[in-house]
Amino acid sequence: MNMLEIKNLHVSVDGKEILKGIDLDIRAGEVHAIMGPNGSGKSTLSYVLSGREGYEVTEGSIRFKGRDLTELNVDERAAAGIFLAFQYPIEIPGVTTMTFLKTALNAQRKARGEAELDAVRFLKLVREKAKPLNVPDEMLKRALNVGFSGGEKKRAEILQMALLEPALAVLDETDSGLDIDALKTVAAGVNALRNPERAMLVITHYQRLLDYIVPDAVHVLSGGRIVKTGGRELAHELEKTGYAAYDADAA
Amino acid sequence: MNDKAAQIFAETYDRERAVLPGAGGWLARRRDAALKSFVEAGLPHRRLEEWKYTDLKQALEKAAFVPAPAHEGAVVLPDTAVASAFAAIDRHVVVFVNGRHRPDLSKAVRLPKGVELHSLNDVLHEQWVKELVERRFDDARQSENVVDLNTALMHDGAALRIRKGVRLDKPLHLLFLAADGGASHTRNLILLEEDADATIFESHIGGAAAFADIVTDVALGDEARLSHVKLQDEGAGAVHLATLRTRLAAKSRLSSFTLTLGCGISRTQNFVLFAGEGAQAHVNGAYALKAAQHADQFCVIDHAVPGCTSHTLFKGVLDGASEGIFQGKVIVRPHAQKTDGRQMTHALLLSRDAAMNAKPELEIYADDVQCAHGSTVGELSREAIFFLRSRGIPEMEARQLLVSAFLDEALDLVPHEAAREALKLLAAGWFADGEGRA
Repeated sequence: MNMLEIKNLHVSVDGKEILKGIDLDIRAGEVHAIMGPNGSGKSTLSYVLSGREGYEVTEGSIRFKGRDLTELNVDERAAAGIFLAFQYPIEIPGVTTMTFLKTALNAQRKARGEAELDAVRFLKLVREKAKPLNVPDEMLKRALNVGFSGGEKKRAEILQMALLEPALAVLDETDSGLDIDALKTVAAGVNALRNPERAMLVITHYQRLLDYIVPDAVHVLSGGRIVKTGGRELAHELEKTGYAAYDADAA
Repeated sequence: MNDKAAQIFAETYDRERAVLPGAGGWLARRRDAALKSFVEAGLPHRRLEEWKYTDLKQALEKAAFVPAPAHEGAVVLPDTAVASAFAAIDRHVVVFVNGRHRPDLSKAVRLPKGVELHSLNDVLHEQWVKELVERRFDDARQSENVVDLNTALMHDGAALRIRKGVRLDKPLHLLFLAADGGASHTRNLILLEEDADATIFESHIGGAAAFADIVTDVALGDEARLSHVKLQDEGAGAVHLATLRTRLAAKSRLSSFTLTLGCGISRTQNFVLFAGEGAQAHVNGAYALKAAQHADQFCVIDHAVPGCTSHTLFKGVLDGASEGIFQGKVIVRPHAQKTDGRQMTHALLLSRDAAMNAKPELEIYADDVQCAHGSTVGELSREAIFFLRSRGIPEMEARQLLVSAFLDEALDLVPHEAAREALKLLAAGWFADGEGRA
């Protein structure tokens, strides 16, 4: 069964249509990449999946595990298993990373009718997940994303994903602002989370990230539509030719 | 005189003059003079710069408070989180009901040698009491005038004197309960002699439509240390007027924190006078307001001598149609070199109908000083709320997390650890109660 089924999806922001009929199916265990030029609607797709306010579905449908996703609000979607790794993670002054992680995990467990984790079990779990991502205790004690370097912010995002164990992870330009070493660490963290029950949608402008997170399918988004779909080799092709051939205005 | 409320107080004074504590002595003469100058100045109103945002005259005219009755019978303290905020802390407790000391409800026993704690009326003959009551702080005359009203009508209060080098063994909790409506005028006096040390909690609770007029006069001797934590949460029909006046001698330290959960109209005044070099004052506070509450925090810090430090941070969250005010002034006198003065105020508006007025001021007449002030007013970040929700945190919980984080920066400055935790719980509970929801 498809984890995610998007049919003829039209989305408007402030009355302006950004997505103009997207069809996309992703099965559990698959990693799909969405590539495209700036302004093609990549981030809009990630936000509409997360349920962000202001992104209005005007036509079409999104089904997640067979369920109409648009019936759920932002936090309900998260508890149902959707995770968005932000291109620019938000700073939350005054809330330590540790407090934030515990609040988020327990809120999701509560929403699913599971018992909340006590402080001891939580601490053990978070340390176990943080270690391979090279996230030290000191970082967990700092306010979330406040004063974090670009690499620290992205590692913190992947730690959240590792802890929350979503069914569908949407990674929005996770490579932006990362040097090659940070990119490798982050990609290794993502790859460690690949498994037959989990699907991923990797949104990126550049092919570079896909050298490290190798996708099962690549889609080219342009002018609010998927204009081409192929295997991983499509990413390399795009790297050579650029997006000019897919320019919406030229088409 | 068209000041009806002032008229009521003047009539009360005429009626009670003969029976007010201290009749026939120095205090009676002081009361006469205070009433005279109070009536001449009248109640403060918005045309006075220091009262620009709080019309006490209008509020008191409207409410027309008569004197609060002496509540002689049994009293049950309200079963609220605010009333029991300090309950888990080992402390001395002195209870006032309708502004009158209730020894039967108080518990301050086995005080250390060198600690003298009395009802004000029992020590009126003492010289230190006279000196504190007669003291004037002339930096903010428009705000000081209301102290004259208190001096004329004060009928009770706590008097604490701690002798040289003595440390109060545990916090002293002054609990003021407005059980009935009406006006009460309370005067507390605190004298810490050289190198003495004390922690004082003050809480003001009760849902009655009362006018609580409290003046607390503090004198700190050389190297004395006072931690003062005030908590206020009163009824929608109540008017709260509290003034804390502290004179600091050399190398003494004041750490004062006020948590205002509000009432109809509240005004909290803090006057700090540095009289000896090397002293430090930390005057901080937080407030969380809702509905039609109005809270005015007013601070004047006078660096009259060199080498003193004053840090002030007030943070507030405003919901409903509430109104918050911060007015602060740091004065650095011409010879007060090496002054370190900082004053910051930040507010968060949770509703479109809430309003905040901030007026931080610096008056600097010396040239070798470090002074800074700043003020911000904002709202909860929608991006931050979205981010937290995208991780599965429901909206209300996300908002509460952000509000608590905002207030915690101020609450972290509460000078007593257990009190700090107690106030943080109250602040978090304020939102969780649904009172903090738009």
